[in-house]
Amino acid sequence: MQNPYIPYPVEVIKIITEVETKDQKTFRLAFLNKQDEENFKYMPGQFAELSIYGKGESPIGIASSPTQPGYIEFTVQKAGVVTSALHAMEEGTKMGVRGPLGNFYPIEYLEGKNIVIVGGGFAFTTLRSLINYMIFGENRKRFGKITVVYGARNPGLLLYKDELEAWGKRDDINLNLTVDKGDATWKGREGFIPAVCEQVAPSSENAVVIICGPPVMIRFTLPVFFNLGFSKENIITSLEMRMKCGIGKCGRCNVGSKYVCKDGPVFTLAELDQLTKEY
Amino acid sequence: MEKRSIKKDALAGIIKKVAGDMLVYAPVKEEDGVFFRALGAGMEPQTTYANTKNAPKNIFFPHTEKMMKYTRTDKGMEFVENGDPAKDAVLFGSRPCDAKSFTLLDLLFDQEKYKDPFYCDKREKTIVVTQACVHPPYSTCFCTSVDGSPTSEAGSDVMLTDMGDSYLVEFFTPKGEKLLKYFGDAKPDAAAEAKKKEIAETAAAEIVSHIPAKEIKPILDVNFEHPFWNTIHQRCLACGTCTFLCPTCHCFDISDEVKYDDGIRVRNWDSCMFPMFTQETSGHNPRPSQKERWRQRTMHKFKYYIDMFGAISCVGCGRCVMYCPVNIDIRKIVTDISKL
Repeated sequence: MQNPYIPYPVEVIKIITEVETKDQKTFRLAFLNKQDEENFKYMPGQFAELSIYGKGESPIGIASSPTQPGYIEFTVQKAGVVTSALHAMEEGTKMGVRGPLGNFYPIEYLEGKNIVIVGGGFAFTTLRSLINYMIFGENRKRFGKITVVYGARNPGLLLYKDELEAWGKRDDINLNLTVDKGDATWKGREGFIPAVCEQVAPSSENAVVIICGPPVMIRFTLPVFFNLGFSKENIITSLEMRMKCGIGKCGRCNVGSKYVCKDGPVFTLAELDQLTKEY
Repeated sequence: MEKRSIKKDALAGIIKKVAGDMLVYAPVKEEDGVFFRALGAGMEPQTTYANTKNAPKNIFFPHTEKMMKYTRTDKGMEFVENGDPAKDAVLFGSRPCDAKSFTLLDLLFDQEKYKDPFYCDKREKTIVVTQACVHPPYSTCFCTSVDGSPTSEAGSDVMLTDMGDSYLVEFFTPKGEKLLKYFGDAKPDAAAEAKKKEIAETAAAEIVSHIPAKEIKPILDVNFEHPFWNTIHQRCLACGTCTFLCPTCHCFDISDEVKYDDGIRVRNWDSCMFPMFTQETSGHNPRPSQKERWRQRTMHKFKYYIDMFGAISCVGCGRCVMYCPVNIDIRKIVTDISKL
């Protein structure tokens, strides 16, 4: 019997400090057993429990794309016991990963459609996974226009800077970066995400928008997309709740009759409307 | 179905004989009540008790349970082994309400995807021998309101029914029949079947608490924001007694315990009544007060579990009613909801 509580052993093979404040790092993990990597088949939008023996577990969205074999990546904000322990780790350390958990962005539904991705601050991780998935090789043909709006409080807080630069050079992604407030080196856009979405004004025709960010950003961004004509079925987001087991047993991450860990974390706005507002 | 008849005074001896061959959990008298305990030498199993103070769920889902063991190496902590495998066991003397709770917990822990190995291992290896309630013991019993009965077979492998001067022993499952050899050869007489039926009817009729538990789901469906939820939680102390004594409450926490170079990961019962239960690292708490926690507990039992598995997650044992230190009564809550 496969025990869903036992993590796969992994080694931290690379640590990238993403932001100036140094409290958001990307951890690249490689499976110690080849078979485990095959068992860990995931899709963009899923998460996993990062497992540190002696400290505990923390549910984190998978930031790498399934198109990147050989490793998985997680971008982690230093916050509590487990994430602080992670941040204190060095390359070469062994730890555990339990997953993949939860549902994922509805790739089949997204195929043939124009995709709008809106990310605010640190919540960009699984969106990055989705973008890398969609633009990888032959995958790109399966999707229509890709428009990305991504912002942070200041330029130093933008994640994945090398990739952003590479995406900016491609002509098959419409990349719109913004910061709340720029600095001396920032030559790009300044402004809040909802305002930038209004300016970019992606068409709602045959289009789906996926929004992840802090609640306040989401609250002001949704009306922009309603005005652009997006239906609630075509607005997708991802929820967070405190979790332990990640497999719908321990009983704490439910919103109404749905467990965010098992039935989510990805929901359409139409689905969220059916749930209670207890998140 | 195999049936046997045993003399009443033979039961304790049979339980002890089984306990000589395998692990037996039975009701044992302690200072402040009767509890399910693993039967050891010199411990006397109770055969005439109302019900145990603790629900027997801890036999399959212990209060605290080792999930795995790990140790420190020069490259960090590494996995060593799983939790301990379960032993063949017999649970003697659960009441029908508690036996039914196992079928409800099965729905959660024994799913096709993400089968819970710790629960299922113990559940598969344990024979449940239930004692029918010929006279329902408490005024707080309300099993008949939640699809149960004082003689319900749900969740039982074997059932004992007190027929006056003897016990009728019914073996419902092949698992239960493994115990046949301990119960002798005496078959019940021809009148036993009719008498059992009569007992079932009179026992059900003796239940005095009746609540509209099966009628409130449609009301709960549309009343998440109803002001009623402001009226039940004020005196709650958030002690968690209701959830810890509840046969169907299954929430747990996972934590790590380390001593020197060795550590274990354990799961411990947790409670939706506790403020920290849903508290996030950021400080945000989706259920910020006892009001939301009571709504969660009520909804979980009488709405969410039906949405998820098609069954009410309450067996009507009445423990939460009896032991709540501030007399919050789920029977009253359910009845009040039915009038919204």
